[in-house]
Amino acid sequence: MKLYQVRKGQFVYYNNELHKVYGVKPMYKLSVHLIKLRDLTQHITNAASVEKYKPKENDSFIFNHKAYTLKKERNAEAGDYILIHNPMPDSLDTYTLNEIELVETADKKGVITGNSHGVKHNEYLLMVPGRAADSSPIDYKDKANEEDESLSYIGALGPATSDLLPSIGDIYKKKDNDSIFEAMVVAIKDQTVYLGGGLEIPQEELMNTEKWEFLYNLLDK
Amino acid sequence: MNSNNKENSVFIISLLLTLIFIVWGVFFTDNLAKVTDIIYNGSIDYLGWVYLGATLFFVIFSIYLLFSKYGDIRLGKKTDRPDFNTASWLAMLFGAGMGIGIVYWSVAEPVTHYTSPPYGEGHTINAANTAMKYTFFHWGLDPWAIYTVIGLALAFFQYNKRLPAAISSAFHPILGDRIYGPIGKTIDILSIFATVFGIATSLGLGAMQVTAGMHDLFGVPNQLFVQMIVIVVATIIFIISINTGLERGIQYLSNAAMILSFAIMLLILIVGPTLTVIKVFFNTTGLYISDFIHMSLRLKPFGEGEWIASWTLFYWAWWIAWAPFVGMFIARVSKGRTVKEFVIGVLVVPTLGTCLWMSIFGGSALELVQNTGNHDLAKKITEDVSLSIFTFFDYLPLSSVLSILGFAVVAIYYITVADTATFVLGMLSEGGTLNPSNKIKMTWGVIQSALAAVLLLAGGLNVLQTASIAAALPFAIILVVMCFSLVKGLKSEVEVQRGNKRSANHS
Repeated sequence: MKLYQVRKGQFVYYNNELHKVYGVKPMYKLSVHLIKLRDLTQHITNAASVEKYKPKENDSFIFNHKAYTLKKERNAEAGDYILIHNPMPDSLDTYTLNEIELVETADKKGVITGNSHGVKHNEYLLMVPGRAADSSPIDYKDKANEEDESLSYIGALGPATSDLLPSIGDIYKKKDNDSIFEAMVVAIKDQTVYLGGGLEIPQEELMNTEKWEFLYNLLDK
Repeated sequence: MNSNNKENSVFIISLLLTLIFIVWGVFFTDNLAKVTDIIYNGSIDYLGWVYLGATLFFVIFSIYLLFSKYGDIRLGKKTDRPDFNTASWLAMLFGAGMGIGIVYWSVAEPVTHYTSPPYGEGHTINAANTAMKYTFFHWGLDPWAIYTVIGLALAFFQYNKRLPAAISSAFHPILGDRIYGPIGKTIDILSIFATVFGIATSLGLGAMQVTAGMHDLFGVPNQLFVQMIVIVVATIIFIISINTGLERGIQYLSNAAMILSFAIMLLILIVGPTLTVIKVFFNTTGLYISDFIHMSLRLKPFGEGEWIASWTLFYWAWWIAWAPFVGMFIARVSKGRTVKEFVIGVLVVPTLGTCLWMSIFGGSALELVQNTGNHDLAKKITEDVSLSIFTFFDYLPLSSVLSILGFAVVAIYYITVADTATFVLGMLSEGGTLNPSNKIKMTWGVIQSALAAVLLLAGGLNVLQTASIAAALPFAIILVVMCFSLVKGLKSEVEVQRGNKRSANHS
């Protein structure tokens, strides 16, 4: 029997992948709410099936489809992402362990994040974009079972963020066309997106706002 | 460099002002008592109407905001959602706004009004109703309206306009970038000055209450000397907590205090005269609503205004002095709420909560005093106000449990208020930074404790009351202007959000 307490904010492995606990609801059988850092999907489980991991300097992982390496070499500047790994909130602060935030302003005492949190320089690790060569990837607990290629591949994917990438159920409207043409994403294979009506186009073309306009996702309404 | 100078000058000037006051209190105690007495009397004759008018205005203004077109503006980015669920949000607001005071006064105030009512004869059924009515009045809509105004202004300019977390930021629509100049600095200094006194008043009351609790539980002498020791020990505790990152422990403590106070409230509702409490709640709510305007504007032009000054004016001044502190707290926990939610959450719900609390404590105490004809109890309560809640517990079943819980709540509130206050003062005096330095926090920690001690030395409760009446006055006027500034800011925000709507529709 495992006897450690799961707490909000902890990094844990669940199904061999890195997740963050974003909520604990003690009275329920499935009490641990997780968010998968790789693609920000939500999962629910119990405390017995997760294993804690404490992120440290030089760890690298994928957050929201982009690879980052945790560094301490310099203080964060405006525009950087930080991981608050050592939270020491003042009495009115509301941030918790391992929050990932975007820095809005920085001075010599600390940084102010986009969420209006004041964080001192010793409370966070800097998230440097990209996977440093000497870093230790922490995306999977047991790396042997996963293909190493996929790790490096996703890491190299580049700057696109998930909410901009096409996903199944997205409805797009063709813009460079006089007649009305709307289609839904029905399948995605690597970089190729399959639209209803038998259309196969590369992802980049769909992302080109001059050719296609995103209307809404089927699940949104 | 420029901004550095600004931070320092606000800190240094407000620190000097407070220090002058402390030195005055320590070396010329009699003189201080005399001067505060003159201010006290002057406040009745000359300043009473300012406080009454301003506070009524805040109530009307908050209700206007509730129904205005600004109701849908979200505090923060449009995608922001509240950090806390509604139940814990409301509990935190309640705890922050009332804290020590509600424990201190909930028994003492109704009973004191009952023995010496604002009008009519004491020790009668009428006096009991009037006592409850005025207790509702002093703890009801008015304080919460003050907090609504300042909390909303701080949250709005901090989250929507991305300005520093300082009082002067709320004047940006009127002053523009002059908020970083001398006018802004003056506003910040005045707000710090009022806040220090508001906090010192609460800490003074808290020290008296903690001492009374120790007297009741452990037989420690209930004297000034012990109150001083309480202040010193508390100061050492929160200075340690600032330096060792025990702040999170303080957050757990404050949650515990809130849970304990709700437990006490429920316990008294059950073991006390439940039916009377319910009747008191309904009856007094009716009286309160129907006499609200009369009480709000009540001054005695052709007689002695002593009662009004020592109760209504003191409360209004205390709430105003206390407002930057509570407002800052409310703003911190309310990000992601809409203006409408905010006003309902800060004005309406806590008002109901405090009225319920007062009905339970006051109603039970008055039942004991009135129905059993226990004039002895009434006399004991009014003679030593800080002991009142423990005296009251002695007459209930499970009195020792209640006393221990009560003492725990008071002691925890004292520490959490003192600790949070250092953070707020640090922020305000460093130009609204969210990362105040520990040195400045510790300085304020020592200063606020010293001020509380000086005020107690100079004459206890009366001096506490008078000092806050005097210190809050400039800030009351600042608050009135802030309302107009807030409306101006909200108006521009409505235009911005309307403009965004089309493009944001599908994202």
